[in-house]
Amino acid sequence: MKPRTNRVTRRQALKAAAVTIGSVAIWPLLSACSAAPPQAAKPAGEVKPATEPKPAEAPKPAAPAQQAPATVAPAPVVQPTAMPEAQVGAMMKAPEPNPKRGGVLRTAWGATTAHTDIHQGGNNTVLIQLYDGLITKNLATGLRGFVPALATKWDVSPDGKVYTFSLREGVKFHDGTPFTSADVVATFTRIISPPSGVVSIYKDELAPVAGVDAPDAKTARFTLKNAWAPFIEVIASPSMIVYPKKALDENNGDLKKVIAPGTGPFVFKDHKVGEQWTFERNPNYWNPELPYVDRLEMLHVAAWNDRGAAVMTDQASFSWNVSPQLWEDAIKRSDLGGAQIPCLNSHTVMVNNTRKPFDDPRVRRAIHLAVSRQNMFQAISTQEPVFLSRWMPYASPFSPPNAELEKLPGYRADKDADIAEAKKLLAAAGYPEGFENVEIVTPSVAQWAEINTPAFQDELKKTLNIRATIRLVERGVLSEEYKGGNWDMLLEGAFQSNYIDPTVLWTSHLKTGASINWSRYSNPKLDTIIDQLNVETDDAKRKALFGQGMDLLDENPPFYLIGFCAHSPLWQSYVKGMAMDKRLHVEWGRLDTVWIDK
Amino acid sequence: MQAYLARRLLLTVPTIFGVTVLIFLAMRVIPGDPLAMIQAEGSGSRILSAEQLQTARASLGLDKPYYVQYLEWVGAIVRGDLGESFWRGDKVRDIIARRAPITAQIAVMAILVSWVIGVPVGVFGAMRPNSRPDVTTRLTVIVFLAIPSFWLGLLLISGSVLWLNWRPSLTIVYFTDDPIKNLQMTVGPAVVMGVGLAAVIARVARSATLEVLHEDYVRTARAKGLPEKAVLTIHVLRNALLPIITVSGLALGGLLGGSVAVERAFGVPGLGLALVMALAERDWMVIQNLVLLYGLIFTVLNLLVDVSYSWVDPRIRYG
Repeated sequence: MKPRTNRVTRRQALKAAAVTIGSVAIWPLLSACSAAPPQAAKPAGEVKPATEPKPAEAPKPAAPAQQAPATVAPAPVVQPTAMPEAQVGAMMKAPEPNPKRGGVLRTAWGATTAHTDIHQGGNNTVLIQLYDGLITKNLATGLRGFVPALATKWDVSPDGKVYTFSLREGVKFHDGTPFTSADVVATFTRIISPPSGVVSIYKDELAPVAGVDAPDAKTARFTLKNAWAPFIEVIASPSMIVYPKKALDENNGDLKKVIAPGTGPFVFKDHKVGEQWTFERNPNYWNPELPYVDRLEMLHVAAWNDRGAAVMTDQASFSWNVSPQLWEDAIKRSDLGGAQIPCLNSHTVMVNNTRKPFDDPRVRRAIHLAVSRQNMFQAISTQEPVFLSRWMPYASPFSPPNAELEKLPGYRADKDADIAEAKKLLAAAGYPEGFENVEIVTPSVAQWAEINTPAFQDELKKTLNIRATIRLVERGVLSEEYKGGNWDMLLEGAFQSNYIDPTVLWTSHLKTGASINWSRYSNPKLDTIIDQLNVETDDAKRKALFGQGMDLLDENPPFYLIGFCAHSPLWQSYVKGMAMDKRLHVEWGRLDTVWIDK
Repeated sequence: MQAYLARRLLLTVPTIFGVTVLIFLAMRVIPGDPLAMIQAEGSGSRILSAEQLQTARASLGLDKPYYVQYLEWVGAIVRGDLGESFWRGDKVRDIIARRAPITAQIAVMAILVSWVIGVPVGVFGAMRPNSRPDVTTRLTVIVFLAIPSFWLGLLLISGSVLWLNWRPSLTIVYFTDDPIKNLQMTVGPAVVMGVGLAAVIARVARSATLEVLHEDYVRTARAKGLPEKAVLTIHVLRNALLPIITVSGLALGGLLGGSVAVERAFGVPGLGLALVMALAERDWMVIQNLVLLYGLIFTVLNLLVDVSYSWVDPRIRYG
């Protein structure tokens, strides 16, 4: 028998070490047993629909001469001065007849949010499902008109300065609080004049609004500083939701850390940070028709390749935008539907108008003429389809048709005449041999850093012998770069707005001294046109004004606009109610009209 | 030994202090602060005035002097409060409790995979040194050592989506809830990381086995007529395993930290992905505490490995 000692034997030591290391690794596993989340129900087995949805016609993104995605003929009326009689009292519904009820819709895109206050920058693609605005764009007409939501109708004063909204009766927030005009006043007053500690990111967009008041409990009145044509489209934006005054008061106007009850079609159920939001059907929704699905599960899938993979494998039923390569593979399958829908974002090379030699309009026009947009589209096509655009989204009712556009100098595919003209302009500006020491700032995000910017750099050198270097910055600090202006060129997607009416886009990006006029552009003639556009409501006159503005911009370009893009949504064929084939433009908005055809 | 242990424990204090200072400063030195999150939204189409930025900074406590911010953070940790997300108010403790199990499971499974592959390959090579099979397995091992695990992960995921029309769950499924779904989610990352680590284990196993094979006690065991299998399992492997255990212990820490890229490739919502998300959002409080957690794990594992030397190898003595 071995003598007993107090010493630890090697065998014991090894066991102890193994147990210790194992415990370090395994404690979280054990804790999992008590932290188990409820599991989401898997949608029922895939059912092939009776009729396959036909993907919207779209060009091959890699095609050198691209055509803009086919859209239904634009309805020019984007700024009605009062709600059309036929729409008064109307309610949103699915575009197809006999939608089915029930089921779960699982979506896949970047669903994480820094906080839960939409008006302070919270992720509106997720949170808006809980809320309503006063009015909304009409899905049935492909987002071309408006339908009532919390307001049943609106009227405009003869001078165009006062909009009076009649509010819907009997609407309640999810906590049972009745909806009144006080909620509208509290919500929009906070946006326009945020209290201390609140950062209102829509303040600039509602800058033309002087104030909001409530003549009675069911009427809300917006008074504008001047007549402002885009007001109705702005107020119908998915982000212009109404918060309850009660929640705003209880939280000192700051809803970043609370999910305030809404009046919307879905109620909050659960949130697993960075994974998934779960919303359930609001059984007391004021619109008895909506929503159709019982539950909405919004998965956080940041990378668009993963989004496509999630839909292709039925982990998710729908995504607003997936990678072009996966999209092209996916739409060949009969169980998947896809479309390419014009978006309101552009690919743009901002040019600093205050720096030499870009302070000379001839230099900017030379670049506008010489750099081939078609070549740029081809370079970008692996990342995103981009199309010819003349200073506004090509889907805008005010945009010239593609056939006309592709004949214009600067926009046409045949560059010989354009390059010759551009070289003359450069020579006249004092740079017959081109120039060097140009710095292009670009975000380190792959699509810009690896493709778009080198492609543009190459075009500059090849066509005009302008030699540029590239400086990468992280995307998070781009806003500082924009503001600082310490760059010659900046390639990203900053020329964009949330509205199909380009007035807001032009006002904020092109008007002298505007808050996000990053190119520091100043053109008094254009300023006058923008001022007129802001107050003019007659569509024919507006179209003429936009035409004059585009001519001015071609002659004296503020920057180089590559083009506006299209998004590539992908869905399982059993997902209906999105009107994807009719949409004038993409809007990552409400999902209350979606129904599951199973 | 006790004195050594006490000294080593004391040494961890400045190490952890150094880690906290480094993380804290790194967050404030790199360009972009949490406010960039608001401004990045909309990619330059929306901008905050200097006044709005100041308001937002004050609301997050970022207007205080650095030393005050640091002391407040460290003070909270000492009190056991890991803080909360700058923006959402989620408790960092909850983030860790929810996601760490998946990350830890993947790391442990990866260690197992590396052993299952690496040990037999290493021992096999040592038994027939410089033979054709040895050279072949060494080359194979080097190839797997050279392949980045996240790239292998991307290949696996792309292949399964395009050819099998399948991909693992995008949300956390614990083993206790649904073992099959849980394994579908974790096996891929574990195999990808385990294969890379197997190359290291195989090399360590080969050299350790070769060394042990030439020891006197092995020759004695053979001389006294023990079958080769018994010599290998009782005398060779047992002793050769010591460096493998050491390497695996350290690798565990590496796997926990290195899972960031692989979790990203597979879309597994583990701690690594939480860290990536926090970095993208510049959520300093989450980043600081998660990196501190990784630092603590490394420090503890290092300490355990150091201490284990004297226990597993009686020749080592600490004065």
